[in-house]
Amino acid sequence: MLELLNSHYNYFAVMVLLGIGLYMLIESRNLVKKVIGMNIFQTGIFLFFITLAFRAGGNPPIIKEGGGPYVSPLPHVLILTAIVVGVSLTAVALALIIRIYTEYGTLDEDKLKQLYYD
Amino acid sequence: MIEQIPVLLVVLPIVGGAVPLVASLVSDRAGWPVATLTLIGQVGLAGLLAWSVSTSGTVSYAVGGFAAPYGIELVVDGLSGAVALLVAVVSLGVLAYARQAGPHSGPFYGLYLLLVAGLTGMTVTGDVFNLYVFLEITGLAAYGLVASGRDASAAVAALKYLIIGTVGASLYLLGIGYLLAATGTLNMADLATKIGEMAAYDSTLVLTAFGLMIGGLTVKVALFPLHTWQPDAYANAPDTVSAFISALVSTVSAYALARLLFSVFTVEFLSAVPVARWALVGLACVSIIAGSALAVSQDSVQRMLAYSSVSQFGLVVAGFAIATPLAVVGATVHLLGHAVMKGGLFAATGIIERKTGATTVNGYAGMGSRVPLSAFSFAVLSLAMVGVPPAVGFVGKWYIVLGAVNAENWAVVAVLLASTLLTLAYFARLVERLYFAEATIHAEEPVPEDAPVTDGSGQAVSFGMIAVVVLAAVLAVALTAAVPELQAMLEDTLPPLLNQ
Amino acid sequence: MTESLRPILAILVSAVAIPVILSLKGRPNVREGVTLFVAFAKFAIIASMVPGVLNGTEYEFVIGQFATGIELAFNVDPLGLLFGLLASLLWIVTSFYSIGYMRGLDEHAQTRYFASFAASLASAIGVAFASNLLTLFVCYELLTVSTYPLVTHDETDEARAAGRKYLAYTFGGGVAVLGGTVLVFVLAGTTAFTPGGLEGLATADPTLARAAFALLAAGFGVKAALMPVHSWLPDAMVAPTPVSGLLHAVAVVKSGVFGIARVVLDVYGTGTMEQLGVGLPLAAIAAFTLLTASIIALRQDNLKRRLAYSTISQLSYIVLGLGLLHGQALTGGLLHIPAHAFMKLTLFFCAGAIHVETHTDDISDMAGIGRRMPLTMAAFAVAAAGMAGIPLVAGFVSKWYLVIGALSLDGGLVFAAALLVSGVLNIAYFWPIVYQAYFESPESHDEKPLLEGPFGGRSDLRADGGDTHDADSHADGDDTPKPEHVDHLGKHHEDHEHHGGPPEGGWDDRGWRGGESTWFMLGPILTAATLSLLLGTVPYTAVFLRIVDTIVGNLPGVVA
Repeated sequence: MLELLNSHYNYFAVMVLLGIGLYMLIESRNLVKKVIGMNIFQTGIFLFFITLAFRAGGNPPIIKEGGGPYVSPLPHVLILTAIVVGVSLTAVALALIIRIYTEYGTLDEDKLKQLYYD
Repeated sequence: MIEQIPVLLVVLPIVGGAVPLVASLVSDRAGWPVATLTLIGQVGLAGLLAWSVSTSGTVSYAVGGFAAPYGIELVVDGLSGAVALLVAVVSLGVLAYARQAGPHSGPFYGLYLLLVAGLTGMTVTGDVFNLYVFLEITGLAAYGLVASGRDASAAVAALKYLIIGTVGASLYLLGIGYLLAATGTLNMADLATKIGEMAAYDSTLVLTAFGLMIGGLTVKVALFPLHTWQPDAYANAPDTVSAFISALVSTVSAYALARLLFSVFTVEFLSAVPVARWALVGLACVSIIAGSALAVSQDSVQRMLAYSSVSQFGLVVAGFAIATPLAVVGATVHLLGHAVMKGGLFAATGIIERKTGATTVNGYAGMGSRVPLSAFSFAVLSLAMVGVPPAVGFVGKWYIVLGAVNAENWAVVAVLLASTLLTLAYFARLVERLYFAEATIHAEEPVPEDAPVTDGSGQAVSFGMIAVVVLAAVLAVALTAAVPELQAMLEDTLPPLLNQ
Repeated sequence: MTESLRPILAILVSAVAIPVILSLKGRPNVREGVTLFVAFAKFAIIASMVPGVLNGTEYEFVIGQFATGIELAFNVDPLGLLFGLLASLLWIVTSFYSIGYMRGLDEHAQTRYFASFAASLASAIGVAFASNLLTLFVCYELLTVSTYPLVTHDETDEARAAGRKYLAYTFGGGVAVLGGTVLVFVLAGTTAFTPGGLEGLATADPTLARAAFALLAAGFGVKAALMPVHSWLPDAMVAPTPVSGLLHAVAVVKSGVFGIARVVLDVYGTGTMEQLGVGLPLAAIAAFTLLTASIIALRQDNLKRRLAYSTISQLSYIVLGLGLLHGQALTGGLLHIPAHAFMKLTLFFCAGAIHVETHTDDISDMAGIGRRMPLTMAAFAVAAAGMAGIPLVAGFVSKWYLVIGALSLDGGLVFAAALLVSGVLNIAYFWPIVYQAYFESPESHDEKPLLEGPFGGRSDLRADGGDTHDADSHADGDDTPKPEHVDHLGKHHEDHEHHGGPPEGGWDDRGWRGGESTWFMLGPILTAATLSLLLGTVPYTAVFLRIVDTIVGNLPGVVA
């Protein structure tokens, strides 16, 4: 078990982040904290991709003389895109939250539900 | 020239969408004409593309000149050609509705065209990560559009949609990671050959990837029990947006699901791992039944229609998961037909609400005489949805059932047949009230206070709005005639996917 | 097989009329003119095909091959012609009657009524001429949809409930038909009707073939009102009487029977049916239904409900004939389609005329009504006699063939006995009506043998599946409004409020010259009665028996 933890610690870190993010997303009543949870969840996925690209002894993928083994550049590029997407999502979410707050005066999900369904 | 059309289909609405956004600094009036011109171009291009696909087969384009599998490839076959055309036509049609009903602002049309770009992108792409990007573009635009209602409840619905939708898309992204780890490629055609070659079909890696990617998309398709965002979003968005996203967003996601099934995991995977197929078919069947049951218990018509979508997409996904050629043709027909019918139904609810203030099932009582054309179209669309022949709703169901019988899936056949009655259960009471019940809302009464979101654009109903609804009703029947053409187009391009 | 436009024209002529009728809302005379013109045109088109079909020509029109298995095509063969000719002929009669009935009651939403009627007829002719199971299904479902507005016409709670029940039952049946059709298509590779049956079915897996037959028979059985799926029919009697007459005694219910006939004769074929052993269960269900429904009919005091149960019973004669699978039984069953139609239409028209003129719906209120409406009751007597199988009226001929056919079979004695017992029961529930109408007066009439009490068991149960509360609301009448309905509908005039039965001082004497009602209603009544006499006296000259002979003669392996 410890050995597994030692050799695959990155995946465990990813799992922990995903778990924390999902838990906040579902369990937190505060809308802003939900969005933070969403960000943590996504960050877990980003890390998963980045560690996927790792190669022991690999060089940065910049072609020069005597380059040798490179780490995979593809996941980095993908995650660069995914981060941009994540930022846009956060921006939209926060904009919506501001709108909700100005209208209802609360960010508490339960109170909002009462107001919303009345 | 034909090879460039797929990429033009994505670029055109993005560029077109930027114009009203910029122009809104000066005036909001540029939005509609620009959007209309853009989408007319879009319909032309999509039509040309579909025609080209049906006459001379699959079209593919390597973006930026990087050849697949290293670069991003856009691939259009019969299935995606049909969906791309549907997206273009429906968005142009809804625009006619938006002119009067719309939110009238430059940013609205910017988002509208961005959504078209996202949907088209999802349709034409041949790369799983590219699909993720377009999925998120579609999502972002849809969240923004849902929130464009004047009432703040729209923002609540949009946030709920955003959070659930993002989780779905993130799961999909995670699935891509697994596939990448298993095969080292993102190109769909390349994946199709490498899954099974580099990683066994029943390896944990591939199975997890399948679960995550399909699971993520079922959130977007809104299958039960992952549908919870949908009723709020559809009911609180402005009427134009409800009609638009109910017609297209889930539809294109369901298309993406089919694309994954046939072009990435392939039918061989489904045969090699029967549990995956059974899980998907089971989910679809549960969705059909639960969606109908929830629809019956709704009081608000728009929420009822939203739950109806849950049920109808169960039908579509069941067809795709059965994955015999006939079932796939049926699922595609139902996918396209449902888009037209559901969009038309939502547009009709918008008109009925504007004219009479009725939004609930009981409020619809006796409205048949107040809004004759819209109510009649509503009735026709409802019956088409129930699957009364010869409307397109029936044809889709016929093929799916035929496919299920060929696959000897008797339980599925039973559910599919029962779905007709389940659908009838919630539509019949509306039609009955529209025509054969005493009105509960009278002409001189003011609109009740609890009437949902109005976007403040006035209660007027334009000719364009009614024309859209009537056209949807006509199409719901007339599309039947296009089915042979569609079938031929699918049969030319699907056999390699279906491996037959 | 001749390519011809006539089949599709016969269907379209009334379909095209729908928007015209709808657009003439403000001009009722022109609107009804259109209905009548279309009815005559339809009949003329269909009648023009009779000589050809009798000489062995079939008229075909293909709309298009809608991809795999979905071909919309129409083909006029003798069996289709039998149903089409019947429905279109009776539509003319009913159209006249409708005008008298609807105007006599000053009904609301008459435009919708006539438009739906035209739509129903278009679908019914579609059912008749469909050349494969799928086209038949398409028209069958459209028929359900287009008759729904007629059932709920009253817009009362009761009418809506009946409408819901109607939709649930018939769409449920539709689903079964669809399932059966898919199975047949998968097993045989086609659904096109072939006299003698599809080849693929004879060699298919017998379990699946039986399952498909069960689905098809159950599905069509709903509209044919086979027990236990019959209970929509009595409830649907809330519809205006012309609807009950033409649709719920002729077009709709017979489309179910017709569907069964198609399945038996042209999809499975009598040979395969025998091989699969599915004819006997069908015949047994039919025999059970015809006896039980006759007994239940004894218990109905509302005239239209009694007629409805009589319909259920008579429809099973036809199904029984089909289920027996042999020459004369088939002839009898098929001939009973037109025979029952003429007679039952007469009876319903009489019930409607009584309702319009006197607002009487219950049999117990009708003592001495022969003075008030002598011609109507005379027609009623003729038709009722035919129902019981008295010679010279249409019912005799068909029953004759049926009984002979049953007797010629091994073990057919049971079925023959069931037919004869049912005939006696027919007399038991029709004769008292006729007798008291002429030979008694409101003041001095005996209690008729109406079974009042329960057959046993709990007293709040009724044999027809409803509860007693249900019975009260029905007994109160279909078209005679309850007081609470009068106000909010605003369509019934004050003088319509009284609940039927004789006026004070007994029925007045209107004589035999038609003073009892308008000729718009009397004409159709007498026409229908005459037609049933014609079919009973000169069945060959009246064409229908010749068509039936052609049908049976065309069947391979059946000795006519």
